[in-house]
Amino acid sequence: MGRKPRFFALPGNFDQDKFSGMLKGFTVAFESSTAARSFDLLDCHDQTLRAKGRLLIESERTLQLLKSDGSVLVQDGSGTGQFVQDLPDGPVRAGLKSFPKLRALMPVGSGTVKAKNFAVLDDLQKTQVRGSVLSLSTGHGKVTFLTVQSMRGYKRAFLDVCSALECMAGGASEKEELFQRLLPDTIPYVAKPEIKLGKQQPSIEVAVEIVRTYLEVARQNEAGIVADIDTEFLHDYRVSLRRVRSVLSLFKGVFSTEQTTALKHEFSNLMALTGRMRDLDVYLLEKDIYFNLIPANLHHGVNAMFAQFAKERNRELTTLNRRFRSAAYDRQMTQLVRLFADTKGLETGSNADRGAYDYACALIWKRYRKVCKRARGITPKTPDEAVHELRIDCKKLRYLMEFFAPLFDKGEFKSIIKPLKIMQESLGLFNDYSVQQEALLEFVATQSDAQNRTNAQLAMAVGGLIAVLDQRQKTERDRVIANFQHFDSSKIQTLFRTLFRHKEN
Amino acid sequence: MKIIACYSNKGGVGKTATSVNLAYAYAQAGYTVLLCDLDQQGAAGFYFRVKPSKKLTDARFFEDVSRFTKSIRASDFDGLDVLPANLTFRDFDVFLSRMRNKRSRLKKALVAAGSDYDVIILDCPPNFSTLSENVFRAADQIVVPVIPTTLSERSLAQLVAFFDEQKLPKKKLRAFFSMVQRRKTLHLETIEKMRKQYKKRILEAEVPFAADIERMGENRAPVSIFAGRSDASVAYQALFDELEKRGVPNK
Repeated sequence: MGRKPRFFALPGNFDQDKFSGMLKGFTVAFESSTAARSFDLLDCHDQTLRAKGRLLIESERTLQLLKSDGSVLVQDGSGTGQFVQDLPDGPVRAGLKSFPKLRALMPVGSGTVKAKNFAVLDDLQKTQVRGSVLSLSTGHGKVTFLTVQSMRGYKRAFLDVCSALECMAGGASEKEELFQRLLPDTIPYVAKPEIKLGKQQPSIEVAVEIVRTYLEVARQNEAGIVADIDTEFLHDYRVSLRRVRSVLSLFKGVFSTEQTTALKHEFSNLMALTGRMRDLDVYLLEKDIYFNLIPANLHHGVNAMFAQFAKERNRELTTLNRRFRSAAYDRQMTQLVRLFADTKGLETGSNADRGAYDYACALIWKRYRKVCKRARGITPKTPDEAVHELRIDCKKLRYLMEFFAPLFDKGEFKSIIKPLKIMQESLGLFNDYSVQQEALLEFVATQSDAQNRTNAQLAMAVGGLIAVLDQRQKTERDRVIANFQHFDSSKIQTLFRTLFRHKEN
Repeated sequence: MKIIACYSNKGGVGKTATSVNLAYAYAQAGYTVLLCDLDQQGAAGFYFRVKPSKKLTDARFFEDVSRFTKSIRASDFDGLDVLPANLTFRDFDVFLSRMRNKRSRLKKALVAAGSDYDVIILDCPPNFSTLSENVFRAADQIVVPVIPTTLSERSLAQLVAFFDEQKLPKKKLRAFFSMVQRRKTLHLETIEKMRKQYKKRILEAEVPFAADIERMGENRAPVSIFAGRSDASVAYQALFDELEKRGVPNK
């Protein structure tokens, strides 16, 4: 009763005869296997579960979570296309508590699964240990999971069985190894891949390397956007393209002016196509927050508004899918990837050959000084525009620092990025509140008739929301000033100076 | 935890078969059950393929809680564990006679070692002894198989008289007819007579004399495992239902 089972993972097949042979004085009775059923291995796009050494298997509407310690959780239901928080209550859902909220489960591989039970019997045919075998196989390989359960009063037999299985597993309990065996071709998706840079590397090479990397990341998200698995695909796609565009606009003089302008224009257009969709995603994700901002008697109008948003998102998705599936889009992306495959096809500017480290210091130092100058000028009376510009400068500074981070000391970088991040969060909120107010006003305008009359409930709801958002924006503005004062501390000033300011600047 | 004893002062009436099948019925109903074999012959353990306990010898049964606990073995059935007997159990009376509170030692031992269980079923040896007095005190219910024959009738009368004499609560006694052969006039007559005489003591359920019960020794399993639809299996289920319906005082 209530005895803890033990778990073993074996690469390849489970050799029953070898196992039986290793247990002296016992016989092992195997039940016949269940018929092979197909299974899907579920994870999200960035393979969070795999990174944590976990496997989530869905087979015939049953979910099995193999945890990194080998234990198995089981619950009924399907997980494909679902968010963990939307699964029915059960041990698997509870076991996935830390799974990212915005990521949906999707199949990352599939194969067949068979199960069988066995009993380890003594000379009286008395069961002394019970066990079960779960065999997974894909086109590439096989992996076997064993669970053994001790029975009261038969500890010796249990220890014998465990040591036999330990010996057979040969220490191969690393889940990544098993994952590789099942799905060797599945490369984990990384939204922010590490890019190796050399201090003396010509700046143009750095720029090309970053652009090439993020173009690849963007492309890896296209299928997920089309399949509408979760909103993170589009988000990552846009972030990647934004990084590319930042390289183009921040790495001044690396490419020729004409080419820079043309490419910036091209990437801006690519992003613009997805802008509305992302806005709608954000509104819909924050639906609950909107409802909480205003009293329940105004909820009717908010409901109507979100129904409109949902409808509009469907339309946007159709348009976007058509665009993503088009030959023209594919051609455009393929050409861009080819262009940034190396530096040959690119027109160089005056800074193209400048050493990466030297160039990075110059760019970051200049941008830092600009941020400080702008921030120090902000008082409670400066117009919102100035705050928006500060936000954009901070963003540019952050991008620059992130792009060139591999060239600098990690620890020092961390200590200056942290207060910058905090300030950016506040600036981000400030911006969101202002953008949301504008969007709400625009929404009401589109919902009004020719005489500029609007449905009263809708108007009340929007009015309520705008009032609250405006209050929040004002509060956030004060926070921006406070956070900048922290960022502007003498310690951080010194760090910036020592890291990035050189005489030749 | 409740304690149910299968007891008869007469041998060969089906005590062990009753213990084993009742223990299985309780486990099937979702209770956690310990079947405690107090009979030196170790038949209850044998039916579950559990070997005799080697280390729970002499007075340790009553004195060494950890040894008692360690001697418990899981059966092949969920929720059903067995404490197997061994030959030294024949000397229980000798050990008990040396102990203080010699009539309540069994209860003490069971409470100390078996508190995790919902139900403890005792398979008792057939005699009047210090051990049986311990059983009468420890048990919440005493299930007494009675073959409807003259000798068994006499045994039940002796048991009831003993309870009267010792001022033990007779309401613990739950007799039932065992190894009943309905084609025998003697059996039918005895049943009729005894049901009138012991209105409150005798349960409705009757377990027939059946080859399936004898085959338990061959199969080494409760009757429901290998003859689930047999009369015998149905009868033991009815016995369980009736015991549960009448309830066992929870302690």
